[in-house]
Amino acid sequence: MLKIENLTKIYEDGTVALKDVSFTVEEGEFLVVIGLSGSGKSTLLRCINRLIDPTEGKIIWNDIDITEASEGDLRRIRRSIGMIFQQFNLVDRSSVMTNVLTGRCGYVNPIWSLINYFPRKDRERALNALERVGIPDKADNRADALSGGQKQRVGIARALMQEPKMLLADEPVASLDPVLAHSILGYLEKLNQEDAITVLCSLHYLDLVQRYATRVIGLREGRIIYEGSRDDIRQLTDEQFKQIYGEEAQRLNVGPEDF
Amino acid sequence: MTELIDPAPKVRSYLQSFLSLLIPGLGQAVAGAISRGLIILASILTFSGLTIWTAAQRPRFPDYGLTARAFLILLGETAALLLFIIAAYYLVTRTVARKPTTRAAVQTGFIILGILLIALAQQSLLNTALSADDQSNVYGITLVFGAALTAAMWLWNISDAGWVREDDAPSMNGLVFLSLAALIILGSRVTQVDLPKAVREYRDTEIILRQIVWPWEAAFVYEENNVEAEAKIQAPCPPGATGPEVNEPKDKGPWVVVSPTCGDLSERGTMGAIDFGTELTITGGGFVPGQTVNIRWENPIGNAFKPRGFGDTEIPASGEGTFETKLFIPDATISSTAQGDQIHRLIAIQTGEREFTGKLSQDMKLALQQMLVTIMMGMMATLVGVVLSIPLSFLSARNLMGSLKSTLQAFVGGVFGLVAGAWLGSMIAGLIASALGGLEKYPLLTFGSYIIFVLGGALLFYRLAGASLDWLGKRALPAVVARLITIIGLAAVGATIGYGLGIGFSYGIFSITHTAEFAEEMAPRTGAIGAAVGALLIAYYGYRRQPTDEITTGNFIYVIVRVTLNIIRSIEPLIWAIIGIIWVGPGPFAGFIALTIHTIAALGKLYSEAIESIDPGPIEAVQSTGADRLQTIRYAVVPQILPPFIAFTIYRWDINVRLSTIIGLVGGGGIGFLLIQWIRLFQYEQAGIAVWLITITVAALDFVSAEIRGRFV
Ligand SMILES: Nc1ncnc2c1ncn2[C@@H]1O[C@H](COP(=O)(O)OP(=O)(O)O)[C@@H](O)[C@H]1O
Ligand SMILES: [Mg+2]
Repeated sequence: MLKIENLTKIYEDGTVALKDVSFTVEEGEFLVVIGLSGSGKSTLLRCINRLIDPTEGKIIWNDIDITEASEGDLRRIRRSIGMIFQQFNLVDRSSVMTNVLTGRCGYVNPIWSLINYFPRKDRERALNALERVGIPDKADNRADALSGGQKQRVGIARALMQEPKMLLADEPVASLDPVLAHSILGYLEKLNQEDAITVLCSLHYLDLVQRYATRVIGLREGRIIYEGSRDDIRQLTDEQFKQIYGEEAQRLNVGPEDF
Repeated sequence: MTELIDPAPKVRSYLQSFLSLLIPGLGQAVAGAISRGLIILASILTFSGLTIWTAAQRPRFPDYGLTARAFLILLGETAALLLFIIAAYYLVTRTVARKPTTRAAVQTGFIILGILLIALAQQSLLNTALSADDQSNVYGITLVFGAALTAAMWLWNISDAGWVREDDAPSMNGLVFLSLAALIILGSRVTQVDLPKAVREYRDTEIILRQIVWPWEAAFVYEENNVEAEAKIQAPCPPGATGPEVNEPKDKGPWVVVSPTCGDLSERGTMGAIDFGTELTITGGGFVPGQTVNIRWENPIGNAFKPRGFGDTEIPASGEGTFETKLFIPDATISSTAQGDQIHRLIAIQTGEREFTGKLSQDMKLALQQMLVTIMMGMMATLVGVVLSIPLSFLSARNLMGSLKSTLQAFVGGVFGLVAGAWLGSMIAGLIASALGGLEKYPLLTFGSYIIFVLGGALLFYRLAGASLDWLGKRALPAVVARLITIIGLAAVGATIGYGLGIGFSYGIFSITHTAEFAEEMAPRTGAIGAAVGALLIAYYGYRRQPTDEITTGNFIYVIVRVTLNIIRSIEPLIWAIIGIIWVGPGPFAGFIALTIHTIAALGKLYSEAIESIDPGPIEAVQSTGADRLQTIRYAVVPQILPPFIAFTIYRWDINVRLSTIIGLVGGGGIGFLLIQWIRLFQYEQAGIAVWLITITVAALDFVSAEIRGRFV
């Protein structure tokens, strides 16, 4: 269980990105964070694995306070929280295999890993992960030779290597076309349901939110302005959605059955 | 209304033209275009003034009056010439070439014609303006063309004044053109461009140039198939001396017989008159029939020369290969300390074909060897520079250092740990060094152990002390105590920095404003003041913050390393070479030190900029997997910076080899050093070899480095 308590983040330039945010995420949930661009979604997700240090508040995950963790503890916490990004954040010049293997950094011997040596088990695990996301034949390609959808699959495979208990996805499909969006979110859903990985995901499109979320949090200017269950969202009309979301709200108008 | 749309047709005003003929710009001013008139006047005045000044700047001819007079005469003459050309132009365009296109062509033709005419007429124009004596002193081309340009402007100004109207904007084109012309004249003055001199004195260079451009004769050993015979002569001939044995004619091979073999030297009087010495009769045989025999004289210390003016020295051999001639013993300065018999040698020689042996000459071998030294110097400097600049570049990359944070109390503890660790490390390294037998015996080991132990100790204790004070402050000590320790620690750091700055201030400022002694006397006082101020300032800062507040320690390091690198980089490699020469004496080592220091700073900057421009996304991604700092660098940073690093390194290697030749010129060893020595000894062929080797190496390097870089980027 992840408990966020009174989380506040003020950037060095004084921007208040999060203000007194509190909510709880149960094990196995697919929580979607919605909100306008600049409303604090990325900041919130990055605070959870402390890529950004929160200014105030607590983040308690399975009774451990992440905000108080020492450097070593933080690395152990991070390795069981996978993260995927809008811009995929692969290392373009490295091979797909190397990119996926970096997901093991938190587990392997740090000295061996520096010379790009990973145990055989991990290499097999990496091939399995690539197989799971449907691109086993790309292992030896350079990452920048892949298409956007393939890159995000490598991102998922990298996160899978961490054997994560939780997955943070910061607008994972915002750089992809609608058909690919369903494909990628499909993988996340599968991980959520089959491997019981808790997913925290920020999304833009209403139909994607309705299709995949089990719970929704709406952010505006760093505050929570909406919380709803799966049923609440399904009944949400476009009008209501626009009220929470602002004028940016859009539908994809491509269903999963379209591909 | 209509006036606005359809302005009245322009009417030529002869009055305005006339006014502008008298004073440039006056016609325009009268017409109401005052600024246009002013600009024209100013331009013409400036241009004339500059021309006169330039011509009068000849060192032996500082006479403005004369120059100005000559200029005015030339002005009139060139104006007449121009008027003639303009008249011709009108004649042609009105009668023959009437179409606008041909007119444009004709116009261009006439402009070229005008310039050519002035260039051709230059000498006769100058002859009327200046006496022959003055001419040699004046910068003729400047005067003639300056006058011609001024005349052209004047004429244009007259025609312009005829058409100008009140609302005409000042013509900027002319102004731009004039400023350019003025700049060129000024520039050529300042850099002392002197074309006539360059042309006049080119011939002296030609011989040397030829040697430098094609020096290969000196690069190889040639076998000379000379036919040669020699005879010994004693001179001066002391009483009782008989001289060396007289040669006998031989049946085979060349021979030369001289008699007598003992005689007196010629002597050269103070006025250059020669008092001839003993006359020698020379007969020879066995030479190649019909070919010239050359007579050469070699004095006792081994200098051979052609005894010009003492008899025939070039005698054709007869059909039987014999010759006969007479020669006075030439003059030769015999050292006053010379002892014993002074034996000279007379050499009769027929120079045959020179045969290429393919062997490298001594000079060529030396040049090749020094070229290698130079290349190695550049490579070593690059290698060492790369190794040292990589860690520095990480320390001076803002995006990496910005994430290096610690609490205030950890920082305070760390600084004390740093000092203690460095001290401990140096003690241990000192022990090891003395156990090994000192710097002289194992320099690299000693040096290395110092670096490892001092750096390692400092880092280890920085972390240890930082972590322990942090732990103590957070868990064990009462908040007040932690706070007190932090403030006192910060004050100590501030005092140290302030003390250093204070002393630096005294030596830096007082030694200039007062005397060195005064600075030395004041140093403790300014140091104390600095220490007090520093301690107070930083203690106050500590007082305002909490010991558990986070500060970006990385930024300190970033600033310190960056500033240091920038200072080092801004000092030219040549200066570093001079410092290196003072430090370790002239030679390749000094050059190596200079190049290495500059390479570290230059590459450190380039590398750190490459690091700063990387995509932060992968760093985030790798960090989020639980990777530690080194892993993050290995997997997120290194793959991104490798290509630019390789490119920069090769680029620098390229630069370093070039620089090392130049650094050699000031004493940094290698081929540059050799080159400058040869030039100073007037051995231009050898210098040519060095120049060629440098050129070939640099070109090859250019090619190779471009090739490698292309492969990586
Ligand atoms: N590094 C930063 N420094 C200062 N302000 C930032 C930084 N990152 C984000 N912000 C600001 O914080 C707010 C929230 O940003 P973000 O979390 O990226 O929103 P979202 O992901 O919902 O678009 C925005 O106003 C943004 O401009
Ligand atoms: Mg965002």
